[in-house]
Amino acid sequence: MVWLPLDTWIVVIGALCAMACALPGCFLVLRKMSMMGDAISHAVLPGLAIAFLVTGSRASFGMFIGAAIVGVITAVFTQWISSFGKVDRGASMGIVFTTLFALGLLLIVQAADHVDLDPGCVLYGAIELTPLDTTMTIGRLAIPRAAVVLATVLLINMAIIISFFKELQISAFDPALATTMGINATLMHYLLMSMVAVTTVASFEAVGSIIVIAMLIAPAATAYLLTDRLSVMLVISAVAAILSSALGHLSALTVPRLFGFESTNTSGMMAGATGLLFGFAWILAPRYGLLSRWFHRKNLLAEDPTVTGE
Amino acid sequence: MNRQQVRKEFFVSHRNTFMFSVLCALSLLFAIGCDNQSDNHNHDDATTQSEIQYPYKITTTVGMITDIVRNVAGDKSAVQGIIGEGIDPHLYKPTRGDVVKLSQADVVFYSGLMLEGKMGDVLIRVARSGKPVYAVTQAILDQGDYVMTDEAEHYDPHVWMDVAGWIRAVQVVAKSLGEFDPQNKAFYQTNAKGYLEQLHKLDTYAKQVIGSIPQKQRVLVTAHDAFNYMGRAYDLNVRGIQGLSTESEAGLQDIEKLVSFLVDNKIPAVFVETSVADKNVRALVEGAKARGHHVRIGGELFSDAMGEAGTYEGTYIGMIDHNVTLIARALGGQAPERGMQGKLNLEH
Repeated sequence: MVWLPLDTWIVVIGALCAMACALPGCFLVLRKMSMMGDAISHAVLPGLAIAFLVTGSRASFGMFIGAAIVGVITAVFTQWISSFGKVDRGASMGIVFTTLFALGLLLIVQAADHVDLDPGCVLYGAIELTPLDTTMTIGRLAIPRAAVVLATVLLINMAIIISFFKELQISAFDPALATTMGINATLMHYLLMSMVAVTTVASFEAVGSIIVIAMLIAPAATAYLLTDRLSVMLVISAVAAILSSALGHLSALTVPRLFGFESTNTSGMMAGATGLLFGFAWILAPRYGLLSRWFHRKNLLAEDPTVTGE
Repeated sequence: MNRQQVRKEFFVSHRNTFMFSVLCALSLLFAIGCDNQSDNHNHDDATTQSEIQYPYKITTTVGMITDIVRNVAGDKSAVQGIIGEGIDPHLYKPTRGDVVKLSQADVVFYSGLMLEGKMGDVLIRVARSGKPVYAVTQAILDQGDYVMTDEAEHYDPHVWMDVAGWIRAVQVVAKSLGEFDPQNKAFYQTNAKGYLEQLHKLDTYAKQVIGSIPQKQRVLVTAHDAFNYMGRAYDLNVRGIQGLSTESEAGLQDIEKLVSFLVDNKIPAVFVETSVADKNVRALVEGAKARGHHVRIGGELFSDAMGEAGTYEGTYIGMIDHNVTLIARALGGQAPERGMQGKLNLEH
């Protein structure tokens, strides 16, 4: 196996995307809205259809704008339904994205039946292709477009999270308390959701869907097992994101070779690597891990025979 | 308490700075969005000046193009295709190995007209940076009104289904290779000429066998809309169950309509495709059976991908020979069982 410059780019782009997703992902996990990424991935369909009807072309930029707008709408509708309809957030997310997806299908069949408008074709990028598509050169180094886009998204997300850290934190844990403290919890929610929508759609466009959905959830969930502090959780999730990108691409190159194939889909392997890291955290986490809880219980039993274990 | 106070002040005093950085980042994003097209103009044309080392590397996408390029480039070049047999190019996800092949290639040929989905978008951008990347159908598009569109003015990429269309693609390849490697221009032209002779023979054969089908039965029902060029060239009424894209779903009404059509016109056979699932076609057969008309599945056609590499069906000529012979025989026309060159094996 030869490590080429394009492999470095794939890992860097994967890491940028993973971090950009993992940071808002932490808040999603805390708010029990982890499947937002998946919901948006389905809900973008009407956005694509309408963007196509308006612009008359399948150019990436129009598709991106359409998808981003529908992404934000998904978040807004989800919030409306869960607050006015007294439905739990997971269920309202389910209602919104299935409805929007169905609307998208209807629009396509009615208005653009002979056009290939499926997101896999017009919106989702492939991380393997990103090194080919360069946008600017610094010195002798040609920077892939995806790296620039994702780095920008990451910077924006970091800036928003740092600026509104306290507000986001309090409204994530206790919206009522946030309101009594004079923080507009609803506004914070919409801010977070817009951040998620833009991040998701930009990442879909750059690297494809599976990796984005995984990175919104798994690194944050991993970090959640390892710490009780939000700031530490954000840092750990970013580290887990970088690790799974590197690990994912490495195993995409090496694992198929063991079975006699040349290489496999990197996005899938990166998403798989996040699952693996989560597995380690689940077993080995210092406080909430399987092993430590088992030892803890055993120690309790040894100290005090009257404790029954549960 | 005190600590919280300090923290709060920190945030209040720094908020403007942070908001400023957000704005900066946003404007950067916008600038990239706008600048995308304009910044590749001053790339040096190193590739055209440098010595060509034989055999130079050509990478192609679908097998039909690989086959042309192999025939035209001969021993001057090592040709690698990345989308193999039985694979649907609309949905193909490139692997890292494919990208290595694309980035190391001296010349890239792809179909264009959105056949390769997002990969086509990327290749268009790579072409802008000055690398010799050619879309064979784009050049056909520039030549006039050959390329078919649907009502919504969208291009149908399946040009290879009409041999006359693919003859144009051969000319595009020969011209492009002549531009890349002017020293061997004549060599490519000669190769192309030899290959074109075979294609003209194939075209005549296709016209003849399809023409032998009784006019009333000259109807081709397939899984997706890949055969419009073939229909136009050889006077065949083409009905696809799915739309142009293999991803779109067939509606119940469409199936019903097609079943009525099959029954009313007593069409003897419908066809499945190697790179598309056959469940919709089977639904047609069941539907017609329920209405007392026996339709059989005429066989597997090669639509978006060729047959197994190394076999006759794994070449462009073999693929078309297979398709037209199979269609003619199933719909009641006259065609030799072993095809145009006696190399066909329709049994498997």
